[in-house]
This record gives sequence, structure tokens and C-alpha cells, in this order.
Amino acid sequence: MTAGAGTIAALFVAGVMGAFGALPAHAPPQLPPDAAIDAGRWRVQPVRAYVSHAKIYGVLLKPGQKALVLEADMTNRTAQSDKAYFDVFQPQGLVLADRQPMIALTRDSTLTPELHPGMTERMAYVWALAGDTAVPPSIGFGITSEIFKPRDNLYGMPGWFNPYRLGTVTMPVADRPATDAQGGS
Amino acid sequence: MKIRVLGNLAILAATVALSYGMQVTKPHYADLTAPVPIDGAMGQSVPARSFDVRLDKVVFARQLKTSQFGQQRLLTTGGLWAVVTTSLTATATSTTVADGTWQGPTGLRYHQTERLGYRQDMPPHGVDPGLDKTGLFVFEVPPDQIQGAKLLVAARRFGPLDAQARISLDGVRTGPDGQPADILPQYDLDAPQPGSTPQGKP
Repeated sequence: MTAGAGTIAALFVAGVMGAFGALPAHAPPQLPPDAAIDAGRWRVQPVRAYVSHAKIYGVLLKPGQKALVLEADMTNRTAQSDKAYFDVFQPQGLVLADRQPMIALTRDSTLTPELHPGMTERMAYVWALAGDTAVPPSIGFGITSEIFKPRDNLYGMPGWFNPYRLGTVTMPVADRPATDAQGGS
Repeated sequence: MKIRVLGNLAILAATVALSYGMQVTKPHYADLTAPVPIDGAMGQSVPARSFDVRLDKVVFARQLKTSQFGQQRLLTTGGLWAVVTTSLTATATSTTVADGTWQGPTGLRYHQTERLGYRQDMPPHGVDPGLDKTGLFVFEVPPDQIQGAKLLVAARRFGPLDAQARISLDGVRTGPDGQPADILPQYDLDAPQPGSTPQGKP
């Protein structure tokens, strides 16, 4: 009897202390592609995805490369201008030439400008791909979010920490031939 | 004996209460190392530690014309462009003034734009003692963040315990809806500016 109570107590304490965090977690959910998503400091709304074979939004490609482009409306949800949007989107199931995308403002092809609080801007994420990469007709983009801590544990400063996978948005991917000059400048 | 025990308990309770009070009212590290604000108004020379700044003029425009690498560019924005003209001078030694921030009425902070690229008249401004220098700060702000806004000018973005001039934009004429009275359709950064009559001055 006492041993049973002790076992239950041990399981309870272990559960409270997070010992079951190593169990397989629930897969991040599929997020609807036609709704705005609150992902930490950003509110994102994916607009379209396509493969470009030519220079796009001022991003030059090496010879033989093509680019996976995701355009999204981004809004800064914080109280000050910020540019920490590099890891928000991550395409899944593709071999990327470079994991880090080039990110351009579609308005005038400025690379990685700061986005200001409450001002929605359309941004283009451009990932370089090897020219012979097979691109499926639709790609899931993992969305990474962060949590806000009013005080961090080192300095007691407010900040955004602990990135986690919020979910996945699946977008159809069109193929845009090199002759289409739209968007380049 | 009983009185002594009660006294000890009272002292213990008082100590706990005092310690708890001190813990919850402990200043934030960010506040302890924050820049030191120096408040001022438009058209008035505001003495920060290493430089003096005077806000002369604020112009609002829907589009900004600039040239970069010999090419004309027309920059659009989702809000308004605010071109702030300041007059800067160093106090004791040559230095730079690099950070301008537009603080809206609710405390939202809009950093100076990064879309202009390098320009001679954009921050960082090199300033020298005794020499007035015109320094521009350009912001993208939504129209509802203009009335009651402040311009924050500091030598650098992260300057703990350094001075930060906070100039209230009280001389900006706004309409009844809080929008600025004059909005230019286009502002040319390269056009020679006429001898100005600064706003906010009689």
C-alpha cells in the first residue's frame, strides 16, 4: 500500500519536473494558409510560393541555380522596429543550397530592412536551390515562433526566447520561367 | 519571556515584509542601465552629454525621392515618411551621432529607416565642437503615431547610461484627426533645401 502511494508520488513528481518531455511530442499542427498567423514577434500571412529561374527582388543567383520564393505579409507585433525574421519560415523536404534565405522587401527590393511596429510589409524569402532539385507541387513551410519573457534569467532584460515549431503551412508552388520579368528590379 | 518571544516574532515579520517589499520594488536591470533622458522641445537646443541637438523641422511625405549608385529611386511606404532636420554640434570633442528613434504617443519605437542605403547626410553624423551641422533622420511612421510623438537622439543605439535627447514634436501642426496638416506627395532628398523657417518657432 505504502509502496503504491510512493510510486504514484514519484510519477507525479517526475511529471511535474518534466521527465516525460522526452516522449514523442505531438507533431506541430497544420496551419491554414489563408489566415494570418501570430508567430511570436511576427504576424505572418503567406501569400504565394513559386520557383524562380532568374534574379528575383534583387537577389542574384549563381549560374545553374534556381530559387524557391515565398512571399508573405509580415507585421511587427512588438513595440519597436526589428529584423529578427530570418528563421520564421523554413521549407521542409527540400535540399537547400543554403539554409539561410535572402529576404527582401518586395516594395523596392531592400534586403533585410527593419520592420516597424504595426506596419505590414510584403517580404520575399528567397532560398537558393541547385538547378536539378526536384520541387514538389506543394511545400510545407515550418513556422518558428518564440516566447516573450519580461525578464530573462541572466540580466533581467525583456526579450524573445525559446524558439519552437508553431506549425506548418502548406503552399502550392508554381514554376515561374526565366522570361517572366515580374518582380525583378 | 512571553513579551520577548512576541517581540522577536514581530521583528521577524517586519523583516520579511521589508525584504519582500524591497524585492518586488527592485528596479529592472534595463532601467538601471537605461540611457539618461534629457527632455526638450522643438526649436530648442537640447544638451546631451557629448552633443547638442536642436530639432528644426519635420516634413511629412508620401514618397521619398533619392539617388543611390547614380540611380533615381522612388521609395513608397505603408505609412508616411517623416524627414526630421536637426542641427547638431559636439560639446567637447569630435564625435558621432548615430541613433534616431521616433517614439509614438503610446511608446512604440520606430528606428530610423534602413532603406536609404548610405548617404552623406544620414546617420551616423560626424559632429565637431563649435560647428553647427545639419543632420537628417528619416522615419517610416503610421499616421496615427504622429500626434504626441517624441524624437529620441543618442550617440549610439545601445548606449547604457549615456545621454539621450527626447524632443517632443509639439510644433507639428496636425488636423483634427491627428494627421499632420501638410503632407507632401513627394520629397526629394537631393533637392537643395531653401532657407527654412523652422516649425515650432514664432
